[in-house]
Amino acid sequence: MIRILCIAAFLTAPLSSANATGRMTCAPVDPANWITQEDLTKKLTSSGWSVRFIKEDGGCWEVYGTDEEGRRLEGYFHPETGEKLLVAQRGRILFRAQD
Amino acid sequence: MLSNVLNHRYFLWALLALPSIPMTLALLNGATGPQGPPVTEMLLHPTGEFAARFMVIAMVITPMRMLLPNSNFWRWMLKRRRYFGVAAFAYALAHTLLYVLDMGTLGAILGEFLALGIWTGWVAFFIFIPLAATSNDLSLRRMGPKAWKTLQRWVYPAAILTLLHWIFVHNNFGPALVHFVPLAALEAYRIWKNQLTAKGQPA
Repeated sequence: MIRILCIAAFLTAPLSSANATGRMTCAPVDPANWITQEDLTKKLTSSGWSVRFIKEDGGCWEVYGTDEEGRRLEGYFHPETGEKLLVAQRGRILFRAQD
Repeated sequence: MLSNVLNHRYFLWALLALPSIPMTLALLNGATGPQGPPVTEMLLHPTGEFAARFMVIAMVITPMRMLLPNSNFWRWMLKRRRYFGVAAFAYALAHTLLYVLDMGTLGAILGEFLALGIWTGWVAFFIFIPLAATSNDLSLRRMGPKAWKTLQRWVYPAAILTLLHWIFVHNNFGPALVHFVPLAALEAYRIWKNQLTAKGQPA
């Protein structure tokens, strides 16, 4: 009985969590200096992206979107400057900024 | 009375369907947060995770029986193993359909097909189809237990592909390994135990 309850608990465990993934880390920046999602979206739109959604990950802006070729991409951008740091297509890295 | 309920197959089916309830509600609701991902994309992760999770559960039943031969629980599980496999397929099917919906066009899907994190998922899914389709008494009888078992063993390459898919689609080891390390450990135990038994008996 207890085992069945354990299985039930396991099955209904939280679906997914939005923790830092460790895929990219940006140096801490004063929250007041972060480029806004709107401004980052504008910047990316002008470069041919269409943005689906943006979230914070590892101190960077993490953007899910599509580029001008229609490729579904995941990009990491500098929280202050919006500079492109890393772009991956389903885990395949297409671009990584030089340090 | 309680054990009658617990042993009824509808109880297990309800349990296996439980994770799909919040997913279906989210899908019907259509929206996530104000700045969240589209619901199709948001549901990709939980559907895939439950597909992998149920597959792993189905796969650990035999080694767990070897580890705990007197356990009633694992005997109970063994009798219901096919339900876990079919549930894994159902979540994998939902996962694949959501992905196709989310991508929207065939061109977009083909455009990323060759990414290691993507083709591995597709191949795993295609392996799952005949396994799920034959997970019933009629197929087992028609094929005979030997051929049926040989077919069902394709779950091993499917599991490896699922693991690769999970790791490489996000370049992230953690959550995938939480599920697959116990499975690998139990499979290693099973191989070790089988070799030990084989050595002990004359050929």
